[in-house]
Amino acid sequence: MYRIWYYFREAFASIWRNLSLTLAAIFTVAISLALVGSSLLVREGAERATAQFQEGVEFIVFMNADATGEQDGAIRDVLENSPAIEDYAYVNQEQAYEEFSTLFSDKPDLVNSVSPAVMPPSYRIVPTDPSAANVTELARQFANQPGVKEVATATEAIRQIDDFSTRVSQALLIAAVVLVVVSALLILNTVFTAIGARRQEIEVMKLVGATNWFIRIPFMLEGTIHGLIGAALAIPALFVVDNKVLAFFQESDAVPLFRGFAVPDGFVWDTSIWLLLIGGAVGMIGSAIAVTRYLDV
Amino acid sequence: MIRLENVTKVYKGDVTALRGVNLEIQRGEFVFLVGQSGSGKSTFIRLLNREEVADSGKILLAGKDLGSLRSWSVPALRRNIGCIFQDYKLLEKKTVQENVAFALEVIGQPRPVIRKNVPAILDLVGLTQKADRFPDELSGGEQQRVSIARAFANRPTVMLADEPTGNLDPATSVGIMKLLDLINRRGTTVVMATHDRSIVNSMQRRVIELDRGVVVRDDSHGIYDEPNGVYE
Ligand SMILES: Nc1ncnc2c1ncn2[C@@H]1O[C@H](COP(=O)(O)OP(=O)(O)O)[C@@H](O)[C@H]1O
Ligand SMILES: [Mg+2]
Repeated sequence: MYRIWYYFREAFASIWRNLSLTLAAIFTVAISLALVGSSLLVREGAERATAQFQEGVEFIVFMNADATGEQDGAIRDVLENSPAIEDYAYVNQEQAYEEFSTLFSDKPDLVNSVSPAVMPPSYRIVPTDPSAANVTELARQFANQPGVKEVATATEAIRQIDDFSTRVSQALLIAAVVLVVVSALLILNTVFTAIGARRQEIEVMKLVGATNWFIRIPFMLEGTIHGLIGAALAIPALFVVDNKVLAFFQESDAVPLFRGFAVPDGFVWDTSIWLLLIGGAVGMIGSAIAVTRYLDV
Repeated sequence: MIRLENVTKVYKGDVTALRGVNLEIQRGEFVFLVGQSGSGKSTFIRLLNREEVADSGKILLAGKDLGSLRSWSVPALRRNIGCIFQDYKLLEKKTVQENVAFALEVIGQPRPVIRKNVPAILDLVGLTQKADRFPDELSGGEQQRVSIARAFANRPTVMLADEPTGNLDPATSVGIMKLLDLINRRGTTVVMATHDRSIVNSMQRRVIELDRGVVVRDDSHGIYDEPNGVYE
């Protein structure tokens, strides 16, 4: 018990002594982990946005909210009778709204921003022949029908979203990996400096028989604390990304599927836990390298 | 207590600091290690402390074979050995009592033990009045007393001293020797490297002389200048 107090006291004394280096290390960890987290959020958003394409659904015909019964009936007629259509499901405005609110049940703001009246009704369609060429041809035919707002094909929509999210999340991830390495090096350097500042104490400790771990632990704790504080700072950034950046896509009308581009708070919290683990690990690894290379105990 | 069997130590660059040393030191003995600068005294001390490892031969200390000692059991060995040096190695930012307490703290001694022992040790070395001073406010002799207090804090069975009076004037040195003598009388084996002629002559203890890494003399009640010829 007393020993744990000793480790923390030494670690924080050292952090205080090296404040400028420590802050540099912590902010680098924070930035790199915010990027890691954003990359994960974009990826998850993309997966959720494409979730409507399941169980063989290859394309979705979105109707105008004010499509007439006649226009609707014409579409339904084709779907019922064409041998090219294996199966279909109609999602009315209520259901679309229902689905949207369950998907984002923990985001009441987002749910409140829409109403059944603005959700386009849609047909989710399973074609007999799911080949890309056939789906594209069918989609073109439906797109020309009166009352149809837009047709999203799985291949096209998913490709669009995948393209977008892969590009964004990969760019983020590459930057993040570079910065994670940089932050590990900064932590290593900070701990190295801390070791240098305590060279005499370390010499005396060895002389009187302090164990290797007793000497090492405060330094490793110091590095781990850098990593954890950096991760803790990255978590609010993650919520900002979730609420502002992803929300921007949800509100844009460019691609209807981007409406689904949101992740539940639960996922953001899970990601936060990952960031803490990564931050702690980066700090511990950085300081462990410093300790084994420079402490020589 | 301490036994060396045919111990040789060669440093990088082919410097043979000790060559074929055989000797035995009993529990409770007070031993002077004398010889010119470069004769291997510090190397001898560092081997006992396991700061260095012998290249051949065998060193036994308190029943442990230092050659085959694992690095993780070195701390346990050191807790049984007190070390003092010519340059004291005190921590400038800690007071006298903090310096002594530090030695106990870092080997995991509980607080109550530290609170009880530190004043007792400061009393032993005669520094109770200066407990809250910093090292740079003390004379050389006082600083060496602090380092002795720190080395003795854990009541080691062996005390190694490498030229402890090297930076002190003769009068102050006498005080330090009295203190080491007191510690020795309490049962601690003392091995002290020195080339201070008058100290060795006045104490009349066992003298081991090294010359270029070889033991050339071992007198049970020796003086510094015993002619080598007698023992050829
Ligand atoms: N770390 C070292 N590396 C290389 N040579 C050393 C080292 N320490 C001591 N020596 C050499 O070993 C010999 C004995 O040194 P030392 O044990 O310090 O003698 P003393 O303490 O009697 O002056 C000297 O020649 C010295 O130069
Ligand atoms: Mg020497």
